Amino acid sequence: MKKIFTPLQIVDSKTVVTLVVVQLAIALGFWQILGGELLPTPTKVLSAIFATVVSPSFFDDFFASLGLTLQGMSISLFIALVVSYMSLVPVFKPLADFMVKCRYLTLTGLIFVFTLYTHDGHQLKISLLIFGIVPFFVTSFLSVIAAINTQEYELCKTLRMSNWRTLLEVVIIGKLDQVLEVLRQNFAIAWMMITMVEGLSMSEGGLGTMLIKSSKYINMANVFAVLFIIFMIGVLFDYLLGKARHWLFPYTKINVR
Amino acid sequence: MEFTREKVLLKAENINLKYGENHILRDINLEIQNITRPNLNQGQVISLIGRSGIGKTQLFKILSGLNKPTTGKVLIGEDLHPVQAGEVGIIPQNYILFNHRSIFSNLKLGLDNCEKPHTEEEKKTIIHEHAKLFDLEQHLNKYPQQLSGGQRQRVSIIQQVLTGNKFLLFDEPFSGLDALMIDKVTDLLLKVSLLHEHNTLIIVSHDIESCLAISDTAWIIANQQGQQGATITEMIDLVHLGLAWRSDIRLDKQFIELVANMKYKL
Ligand SMILES: Nc1ncnc2c1ncn2[C@@H]1O[C@H](COP(=O)(O)OP(=O)(O)OP(=O)(O)O)[C@@H](O)[C@H]1O
Ligand SMILES: [Mg+2]
Repeated sequence: MKKIFTPLQIVDSKTVVTLVVVQLAIALGFWQILGGELLPTPTKVLSAIFATVVSPSFFDDFFASLGLTLQGMSISLFIALVVSYMSLVPVFKPLADFMVKCRYLTLTGLIFVFTLYTHDGHQLKISLLIFGIVPFFVTSFLSVIAAINTQEYELCKTLRMSNWRTLLEVVIIGKLDQVLEVLRQNFAIAWMMITMVEGLSMSEGGLGTMLIKSSKYINMANVFAVLFIIFMIGVLFDYLLGKARHWLFPYTKINVR
Repeated sequence: MEFTREKVLLKAENINLKYGENHILRDINLEIQNITRPNLNQGQVISLIGRSGIGKTQLFKILSGLNKPTTGKVLIGEDLHPVQAGEVGIIPQNYILFNHRSIFSNLKLGLDNCEKPHTEEEKKTIIHEHAKLFDLEQHLNKYPQQLSGGQRQRVSIIQQVLTGNKFLLFDEPFSGLDALMIDKVTDLLLKVSLLHEHNTLIIVSHDIESCLAISDTAWIIANQQGQQGATITEMIDLVHLGLAWRSDIRLDKQFIELVANMKYKL
């Protein structure tokens, strides 16, 4: 018992599960008791979730959001990878550094510009998504690259690799597993942005659209239901990407103590 | 003991290294000659001995061509041309390997860029031969993080040997090892030096006894009174003293005295 209140203690998996279940139960209990008019109770939310999932348009909305995220993420990933790898070539370094700073640009002011330059809602959403995610991807990748031990480059030199071969070996192949990790960490940002951009162009539907419609009619149980679904899908992807990394790159599973 | 010192294999001329105002290395000159003994294929083993923090690792990087000295040059090969990274193998203090590759694949990278082209089949045979010789055969499919420090050191050494470099620089190969392991590493280094007559091992270390026990030549790097920057203060020709190439050397009285005296010179 004392163990769970001591820092740096390793507890067995049974204890971990118990802790999670107990804390979840307490949280839900409080919610049920405190809930009422404004804050829907868990039981209400649960039935709303069920109603949402079985409603005919749910899967269209779900796949609209998922498709948009995956498309936006893949394009962003590609751009971010190219920019990050090229940042090691001096000519391209300023571009990469600038992209990192773009995190501080807010999208709100730029939406109008994007609307002018894109042809339809889909394009608008995709380009906003890309514009929003790429700086975060690049930032993460550059910090992965900066963390590389210079001795790895030296090892390549003593093995007579060319500079391009060294880039390939140490940065591209050597950190390929980190790409998935960065993807996982930034999926949250993409997932958060998706609901925002979907609000801008509602014609294609999507979870974001659902969220906005429910809010408009002050249907709080529905809002919470959609939020919960969005939350769970995010957590699921987080888990899948983490698993994929271990599966694709077995050496990441090795415990170093 | 019969031997001759012949051609110069590596030469450092007036090496100086400064970091800003900080003079680290001063006027380092050294020459490594090929030693031949009749009917024996044995390379050279040279030590650079100095206190911790004196600049050994810095000199190590300069000799390997990875860093440029502030002034001076390192010359290498038949024609004594300026050294370039890749001509000297290095086994750094912490045995760095590619963690994303298996041991086999790490070793193969050594062969991939060696002067003599090999077929994939030949590469496999060569790697297995070396792995067997250095007791690594059952580890070829593992990843570097799954090996012990000593095993990683051996992988690191073979990787460099396979590139075909005749010069191998070792940064503190004995550091953090117990007496038994030091003996093992000593045997290992001798094994490497026996692989080829031109193989030249340069050991950079502060472990006087272990270094002297396997070297034929040793240089002491130390600070001189009133001067900034470390330089070579003494050269010990162990062949001349009759203290080289002997397995029982650690028990020799003359050797023990030499080691005891060296301590005061660092
Ligand atoms: N980049 C640097 N800038 C300034 N000073 C440096 C730099 N790198 C090393 N030094 C200094 O150079 C000196 C020599 O360092 P070096 O690592 O070569 O020591 P060493 O002899 O290998 O020590 P050890 O036996 O502990 O490994 C040290 O005093 C260190 O502070
Ligand atoms: Mg050192």
